[in-house]
Amino acid sequence: MGGADAGGDAGPVTAYVLRRLALAVPTLFGILLVVFLLVHLAPGSPVAGGPEAGRRLTGRAAEEMRRQYGLDRPLGERFGLWISRVTRLDLGESFVDHRPVGVRIREALPYSLLLNGVALALALGIAIPLGVAAGGRPEGAFDRISSAALFALYCMPSFWVALLLQTLFAVRLRWLPLFGVASDAGGGALDRLAHLALPATCLAYGTLAFVARLVRSGIVEASAGTYVLAARARGASRRRALWAHALPNALLPLVTLLGLLLPALLSGSVIVERIFAWPGLGRLYFDSILSRDYPVILGLSLLSAAATLAATLASDVAAAAADPRVRDGTAP
Amino acid sequence: MARGTGLLAALVLPLAFGCGRSERAGAPARPAAASKPTPTPRVALGFLDETREPVGAEGGRLVRRLSGEPATLDPTLQSSGVEAEVLQYVARNLFDFDASLRLVPSLAEGIDVSDDGLDFTIRIREDAVWEDGSPVTARDAAFTIRRVMDAKVAAPVFKPLFEDCTGVETLDERSLRVRFREAYAFRRMAFVLPVVPERHYAKAAQAKAQARRPLSDGPYRVASWTAQQEIVLERNPRAWGDARGHFDRIVFKIVPDATTSYRLLASGELDEDDLDSTLKKRAASDPEFASCCRTIEFYNLDYNYIALNNRSPFFADARVRRAVTMLLDRAAIVRGLYSGSARIISGPWAPDSPAYDPGVAPLPFAPGEAMRLLDEAGWRDTDGDGRRDRAGRAFEFELLVSAGSETGRQIDETLAAQLARVGVTAHVRALEWAAFVERVDGGDFEAASLAWSAVDPNPDPYFYWDSSQCAPKGLNSGCYSNPEADRLMRAARRETDSAKRLELLHRLHRLFRDEAPAVFVVNATRKFGFARRVRGLTTSPLGLFGIWPGPLAWWAAPTPAETPAP
Repeated sequence: MGGADAGGDAGPVTAYVLRRLALAVPTLFGILLVVFLLVHLAPGSPVAGGPEAGRRLTGRAAEEMRRQYGLDRPLGERFGLWISRVTRLDLGESFVDHRPVGVRIREALPYSLLLNGVALALALGIAIPLGVAAGGRPEGAFDRISSAALFALYCMPSFWVALLLQTLFAVRLRWLPLFGVASDAGGGALDRLAHLALPATCLAYGTLAFVARLVRSGIVEASAGTYVLAARARGASRRRALWAHALPNALLPLVTLLGLLLPALLSGSVIVERIFAWPGLGRLYFDSILSRDYPVILGLSLLSAAATLAATLASDVAAAAADPRVRDGTAP
Repeated sequence: MARGTGLLAALVLPLAFGCGRSERAGAPARPAAASKPTPTPRVALGFLDETREPVGAEGGRLVRRLSGEPATLDPTLQSSGVEAEVLQYVARNLFDFDASLRLVPSLAEGIDVSDDGLDFTIRIREDAVWEDGSPVTARDAAFTIRRVMDAKVAAPVFKPLFEDCTGVETLDERSLRVRFREAYAFRRMAFVLPVVPERHYAKAAQAKAQARRPLSDGPYRVASWTAQQEIVLERNPRAWGDARGHFDRIVFKIVPDATTSYRLLASGELDEDDLDSTLKKRAASDPEFASCCRTIEFYNLDYNYIALNNRSPFFADARVRRAVTMLLDRAAIVRGLYSGSARIISGPWAPDSPAYDPGVAPLPFAPGEAMRLLDEAGWRDTDGDGRRDRAGRAFEFELLVSAGSETGRQIDETLAAQLARVGVTAHVRALEWAAFVERVDGGDFEAASLAWSAVDPNPDPYFYWDSSQCAPKGLNSGCYSNPEADRLMRAARRETDSAKRLELLHRLHRLFRDEAPAVFVVNATRKFGFARRVRGLTTSPLGLFGIWPGPLAWWAAPTPAETPAP
């Protein structure tokens, strides 16, 4: 949005970007410090292993492990060590399986990107037309019905919907697979798509409801604008006035929202991934927290903090490029 | 739910475990269990042995469930049930337990013990080879034992029994001698030990590769491991010995969610799965389950109990601990929580352990007697607020439970409700697992609901109840301390005559019942769902997997389509 304007005054925008970038570094550092402290001050120890671990090291053997993991050093020293490794792009080694954190994240990342990407596309693809249709005739029959339906959808917990979907489509109808990313035979694109359908639906419907409501209120507001009225006066059809004139303005808040939704592509969903045995980042995060696998928790936190900062930065820059008032700080 | 199939001693596993199903079967061993009359059993309880039936088919694949991803397949470093389940196929132990819990030679062909009980000479089978064809040698075994003892190596399953090992030497290619400082009655159980190939552990990088794909000396080897998805085993072309397995492939699907895995079982995509309390009931009335699967139910050596901190002002007095035990209506728990498929216990063993003396009846549920004991111990309501107090301190404590342990929580709530009726306040508090473990292992609690998961039949109570093993240094988390109990425990672990040893353990059992160092609750059944096509199962008090040949004797008629439709 507004990208075309950026070329015109590159100077101020560049300065704005630099200013924001300079601010992002301490923000990231602050986030990492807080996560580091939370993780290390929480009760429990990586030496005990996760809930799956039947046997735990105790006594002298546990002491030796703590020493090997460097957990006997002061907190400040541990944080310093970790930060200095991170600046060399080394996230360290998992306490659980002793493989590099980067490798473990790389294994899970594509699955999360795929699942969340499809879910987001699905949500936006349905939500925008739905929002436009509902906002086109506010308080009309369609608006009322879709409002009720969307609120109901938004309120449904995903673990429950997941079970319902499994029961209906996988157990009763046997149309779709119950779990996993592909059948044993390997399967083609169609097979992978079939495996995506249920978890992606589960992740999509909440966002869908939320985005559709946002688009609707944006359309309602924009439709009252004089430019929409002017477009109608010039003879534009109602449909054209809505889609070509009202919608672009209604989408502006959505762009900011996308800045917040995009990082979710990287963060995964613990519940949905667990139910559908989806090998994504959510499961990795959850398992790592349960077993106090500090290096993996910190690596994933770094990833999602960086993604969030980058996305907010990008959406702010887009807004700044579009609106000079944003970059000189006089935005209403 | 973790499946207890590790290899050493017994362990404390604070998780939810086995609960009742709608129909119950098998009479409780304890007369005091006083279960209500129940319908005719549909499931055979107790010992199941299908290995006598002829094997009807070779080949095909077996699809098993793992509830979580193994952290490692390095046999020495294993710590969890999911790891043991996979490793059983690829790493042979020197000795194994059979279904009757006897130690039988496996990778070893024999063992000689010196007269003083300190030296163990082990001979390794001549036909034992690694998957690359090289022999499994005494050097490999000696290297493994040194590795277990290495302070830098986390080997939580195997370390304890080698703690007083003073040396290992190889006598020749096939024999090694292991020396210990002290004689120990259950020492041989240390040799339920998987051996690793020395030359593959010379460099750190090699050892790491072994953790993902260990060199096999078992009937199968790792074909692939896809993170968070599945581990596939294929036949080891150099398999040796008996029990080489009947399937061509063993597929372990990693399915964390129990409801999903139940559905996979019922729809034919899994061949076995353990059933938790809710799923057991559901399976009994599910026509889809009935058409594909059967339930296997048996008593194992697991039990649950409420640890009491004997150092706390509340529970230092045995009269108070007895009173708390008498306030827990265990018969009601057996009926309500387990639908009858559990047995009340009176000591720190399951009834199927030889250490358990069936003559030691559990303390009765007797609130009147309990109130008298509390009065006697000085806990009376002196200020008339309806709550018991002593020396200005109210009898009020926290009863911890691991979040997610539904069984543990319900037992805690049952006890807390009864305690409230006699003027004692117990706050049931659920803690996230790691936090819970830290409190319990550190001895920093007053009472905590725990599940004991036995991974071998070693009944030695020393590590868990001897006064020298108090937390946080040792595993006696409630710090029970009684000179007579210490004497009996120490004598039992030195006694080489098994009849005399049992006699000592039975005396100890009686003492534990009377002293009530903890509230011993029940031993409940384990339940599994199996595809009907899978045969050759053997159950044991160690479960279905922790024994040899165990799963290696399973076979199945091939399905019409070997790969199930999605």
